[in-house]
Amino acid sequence: MSHSSRSSRLVRLIALAAAGALALAACNGGDSGGGGGGTAKGTCPVDALDKAGEPVEITLWHSMNRANEEVLAKLVDEYQAQQPKVKVQLINQTSYQDTFEKFKAGLSSGDLPDLVQIEDTGTQQMIDTQAITPVQACIDADGYKTSDYLTRVLDYYTVEDTLWPMPFNVSNPVLYYDENAFTAAGLDPEDPPKTLDEVTTYAERIKAAGYEYGYGLKLDPWWIEQESAKGGVTFVNNGNGRDARATKATFDNEVGQQVFAWMDAMVDDGLAVTNSADGPSAVNNLLAIRSKKVGMTVDTSAALGTISQVLSSGEGGGVKLGVGPMPGPTGKGGVLVGGAALYISAKSSAAKQAAAWDLAKFLTSSQSQAIWAAGTGYVPIRESAAESQVIEELWVREPGYKVAYDQLVTGVENVATAGPVIGPYQAIRDVVLAAEQRMFTQGTSSDDALTDAQRAANEALAEYNERIGA
Amino acid sequence: MRASGPAPPKAGKSKARRVIGKVVRYGLLTLLAAVVLFPLYITVVNSLLRPDQIAARPPKFFPFDPQWDAYSRAWDGGHMSRYLVNSVIVTVAITAGQVVTAILAAYAFAFLEFPLKRTLFAVFLATLMVPFEVTIITNLTTARNLGLLNSYAGLAVPFLATGFGAFLLRQAFLQVPSDLQDAAALDGYGHWRFLARVAVPLARPTVAALSVFAFLGAWNQYLWPLLITEDDEYRTVQIGLEQLSRTSIDQLNVTFAGVVIAALPLVILLLVFQKQLVRGLTAGAVKG
Repeated sequence: MSHSSRSSRLVRLIALAAAGALALAACNGGDSGGGGGGTAKGTCPVDALDKAGEPVEITLWHSMNRANEEVLAKLVDEYQAQQPKVKVQLINQTSYQDTFEKFKAGLSSGDLPDLVQIEDTGTQQMIDTQAITPVQACIDADGYKTSDYLTRVLDYYTVEDTLWPMPFNVSNPVLYYDENAFTAAGLDPEDPPKTLDEVTTYAERIKAAGYEYGYGLKLDPWWIEQESAKGGVTFVNNGNGRDARATKATFDNEVGQQVFAWMDAMVDDGLAVTNSADGPSAVNNLLAIRSKKVGMTVDTSAALGTISQVLSSGEGGGVKLGVGPMPGPTGKGGVLVGGAALYISAKSSAAKQAAAWDLAKFLTSSQSQAIWAAGTGYVPIRESAAESQVIEELWVREPGYKVAYDQLVTGVENVATAGPVIGPYQAIRDVVLAAEQRMFTQGTSSDDALTDAQRAANEALAEYNERIGA
Repeated sequence: MRASGPAPPKAGKSKARRVIGKVVRYGLLTLLAAVVLFPLYITVVNSLLRPDQIAARPPKFFPFDPQWDAYSRAWDGGHMSRYLVNSVIVTVAITAGQVVTAILAAYAFAFLEFPLKRTLFAVFLATLMVPFEVTIITNLTTARNLGLLNSYAGLAVPFLATGFGAFLLRQAFLQVPSDLQDAAALDGYGHWRFLARVAVPLARPTVAALSVFAFLGAWNQYLWPLLITEDDEYRTVQIGLEQLSRTSIDQLNVTFAGVVIAALPLVILLLVFQKQLVRGLTAGAVKG
């Protein structure tokens, strides 16, 4: 640049001031999100809706894709028809991540919804916003019965004995496989692999039958968390972050080592091909079955509805989709609850909070959950919904849907299967993914990769806890 | 590009060799063009295939049985029609605003003398060094207090002025020979007439480049429109694309159709302004 030294010094000064302002803003953000952890349990003004003179208008931010949004809109329409006191505005904020970002931006600007759908990983951060009315407070104030809700699902969203959001859409990972590939390899399509060792054996046979790979390995850290839970071990300390805020990661354990060593061997031996879990290429993992590159893979049960028709349709399809429980350690644990849940904003007026609670109750009523599960492929979160006629018919027609429900409810109930509650969830997923990639591309041993990941995860936890002042 | 100025043929060099050279050069350019255009081509092809055909291996490179309904589904079901209108309104407003304010500011910094001129210019430049993400929360609060949430004004107003544009045009204006200024002054031109008749016409390539730059930037915005809008009425194509890209695997073709719809205005813009763009990029590259 060509101005005098005086003005360029000024430029630097201003840049410095800007940096200072940024640091200040960051501090403020931290303060408002920090504080006493889970001590502020809040109250829920459940009576405020009855007292409201005119219809209460509330907004619901969600992140459902178009097909699922249609089902949600139908449920909301039904709700409005039977509850004239509430007017619901349904707003699609595109992705889970963007919804969360917009919610966090709203904490400063005041542009907040009354009810918001947040991804499973957001629990600790939502608690830390201190802007949430825990659903538990509403349940207690309303005398609402939750015995019909699946215990596993309630456990997942319960931290320090408080149920924070209302669980809504639940999914978990299942094994997808091509029955024709199994037949070609001389394997029984009715008997999918149950352990990781069996997956190896099956993959060898499928590869020997002429497939490029036996197994599609989606590089999704979610799956490592799932295998930890299935092996009955915790992912972070302090009771998986449920008795007190997590301070250390614990995933560098026997199960974690087994899983990492298994992945390393599968890729090294050419039995598995890795697929990105990021962005639009995330569907490649399932499409690999369609293109007969692999014979099986693990992916979310939420994808079942749409892929089954793509995979088995069209010319030269020739794929017969089978669905089985996620393979992994057996006997000690179970799969985690995935999906998203509904949080009530404490910043809303009493009448709006009461209306949001009323809507949350409706959306998780037995009948709504049956319609929701049948229309979207999510797991119904109430026993009575699972026993309803519409779901029973669905499960007869598409037995794959039942797999996700069965493996969820048959899981052991313990602190490991309740799932980890982590503030810096994304940061920890990033370090786990980076460790996997180092293992595959740089030849780092599986034990070293896992140890490195745990160290980096501990740093992320310490940094987060320090930032929010816990 | 090199192709624009081939060396004059030397005497004695055979015609055949020149032809071969030309063929090789064009062959190479064609290959490079194909590499650049292929992603665009395959996007269009995929938008016309059935979802199961997109997944097929080997991949299909030509839609023998084009399925045009993906476009109508993106247009209506994906709300791309509404989003496109919003994007056009907001982008045109931002582009016009940036060009006008940049021209006026650059004119002042280039041709006028006033106290603290250097300091003020430094402040202008300093705004370039603060990324938009830093000010986003403050801007959001301001917009909310002004009642601009969920409106075209909220989408466009924060971007009507740009330090970058002022800087770019000031440099262009400084190239205007001072003789012209003197001549214009003798002819009795005031500031406005000099600006409109001399300065801007001489800096036209730069103005065009700034327009395209502003247009691209505004068109591709994502975070701000997402934060400031509440519903489909004011949302822009990029948000629509994000929504489409999260549709399920059985609607991949609709996503591709949405991408084509969102990219079309930019392609048209580039075709129309091609000449100015190339001139703008090379302006000042060679100093006489």
